[in-house]
Amino acid sequence: MFEVKRISMIYDMETEEKLYALKGFDLSLPDKGLIGIIGPSGSGKSTLMYCLSTLKKPTDGSILYNGMELTTASDAEREKLRRREFGFVFQKHYLVPYMSAVDNVMVAGIGKEADTEKKAKDILEELGIKEREFSKKPAKLSGGQCQRIAIARAVINDPKVIFADEPTASLDHENAFNVMKILKAYSEDRLVLVVTHDKSILKGSDRVIEMWDGEINMAGGEER
Amino acid sequence: MRSELSAWNYVRNNKRSSGTLIMALALVFVAMYLISMLLLTTTESFLPVVREMPKKLAYLSVSAKSLGVTVKEGDTEEELQAEYENKRNELIEKLKKVPGIENAYYTQIIVCLYQSVMGQIVYENPLIAADDVPRFLKHVEAELVEGSLPAADGEVLVDRTIMKNRGYRIGGYFMEEAYGKTFRICGVISSPGMVCVGTPMGYTNSGWYIVTEKEETVRDMTAVLNDLGIVTGDADKVIDTVDYETLFERDFEGVFGKILKVIYLVVMVFLAFTVLIAYIAHMRGRMNEYCLYMSIGYGRSAVYGMMMREMLIIFGGGAIIGLVVALSGGALMQHLLIEARGLSCRVIMPEQIFYILASYCFIIGILQIPVVLSINTVRTIDAIEE
Repeated sequence: MFEVKRISMIYDMETEEKLYALKGFDLSLPDKGLIGIIGPSGSGKSTLMYCLSTLKKPTDGSILYNGMELTTASDAEREKLRRREFGFVFQKHYLVPYMSAVDNVMVAGIGKEADTEKKAKDILEELGIKEREFSKKPAKLSGGQCQRIAIARAVINDPKVIFADEPTASLDHENAFNVMKILKAYSEDRLVLVVTHDKSILKGSDRVIEMWDGEINMAGGEER
Repeated sequence: MRSELSAWNYVRNNKRSSGTLIMALALVFVAMYLISMLLLTTTESFLPVVREMPKKLAYLSVSAKSLGVTVKEGDTEEELQAEYENKRNELIEKLKKVPGIENAYYTQIIVCLYQSVMGQIVYENPLIAADDVPRFLKHVEAELVEGSLPAADGEVLVDRTIMKNRGYRIGGYFMEEAYGKTFRICGVISSPGMVCVGTPMGYTNSGWYIVTEKEETVRDMTAVLNDLGIVTGDADKVIDTVDYETLFERDFEGVFGKILKVIYLVVMVFLAFTVLIAYIAHMRGRMNEYCLYMSIGYGRSAVYGMMMREMLIIFGGGAIIGLVVALSGGALMQHLLIEARGLSCRVIMPEQIFYILASYCFIIGILQIPVVLSINTVRTIDAIEE
């Protein structure tokens, strides 16, 4: 699905001391499966995910997504990909504080309103959010519930890829386990990329990519 | 693919803040409309006096000099007075022959004070013989609605609007502050020009005039006098349609028009500044939300569209509620405050509604500055996370 060639990302380009977040490596990712990207802070794992998801443009290199070159794609094409084919789960849930749980899921929907509402409710139920919670606003829900709503928002359009950046960082162990279970289930026929620095949550993953200082640590990489 | 972000979500889920903004805008609408209404009450109320009355009546005070009375050596005061009266009577006879002038006569006048919310107007009314009153009333299209016609000296028929405005009653005294207990109100009349008429009672200090009962077509009495060979000067006074039009445009429409423009400007600047500050704070508080939208694939135009639609809902809501409350409040004010004081106003003023809506549009235009600036600073969530 993704073919990455010599990707590099340099921050502070204009300064003397350039900061290499990604140092020109190649990477190939399949169409499905749960893939973990681990590494310490500053290793470039989040930057890699943002480049793959079109939120960032790499300084150099090529990213092919199903044959489409993402580094030269127009803003509109990138937005369209993010709307239709990619789903996002961020470290913080980024739910809109004034919207109900259902509205927070529906906001990402691309279908007709009635269909999207039904689908949003179905997904929320599947993710263990009870019907009485549907109308509640994020402030009235627990951290685990909020993150599950964020996952529901990510999957509402049946995206081909889910990018999850530290999805369990703000959750307790039980909720973290549940979130990973949901993502694992989704990865049966889709690609789920999980960026984390906590190796323990990647137990059931299909592959773990370990990053270190802007490079893939081949020795640490693990194929299952 | 749905490409629009719903603007209702914010309004529906933030009823208190949206409602506060809508109500604030509605209140501004109401305040601006009712202030306009009060100010325009003056011009509306004075219209019968300045537009209708001069159609039927004109008052001329022509000096001896303008009439061609020349002082010769050895002339006594009595002789000069006699010559002046002769020339004046000649003029009156000539005036009677002018097409459109039905009658002309030399008489004393009494003034009538008509008080509005802001400002007042003082206008002339003739004192004529009781026998001439019915003819006069017919000419000015007045009808007796209460009381009786003057039968003795010092009796006055007063227009019913003035009765209400000054709190007069039949049997009371007309313009007591100016004439004391001289002119007793014997009846109430109704006429398009709010004319009053009375019978003389000794000397009043309001002056003597040649009163011309005329038709609407005779507008410029100075021109009429010029045609009759009289060149008017500073010592002469001509109160006609042209004179009232000048007075109205200069002292009423002009002044109140300017006051209204200043009020609109001050309110608009204040409102624009307040809304601008509130909106900047409002947008800052929602930056993460906008970042989320950009991250999940909505373009800047979609976020801008949502912001504009939210703004239009809030301003539109403010305008609709403001209009309804302003019209209701206006009708109530007209009934309880304005008509009760013998004044008149229009409740529906399309041009004022237009000005207020134009002010709203101006403020929406001003708000484009922070909206466009913030739209251009919205990043995707990766920027926040880093």
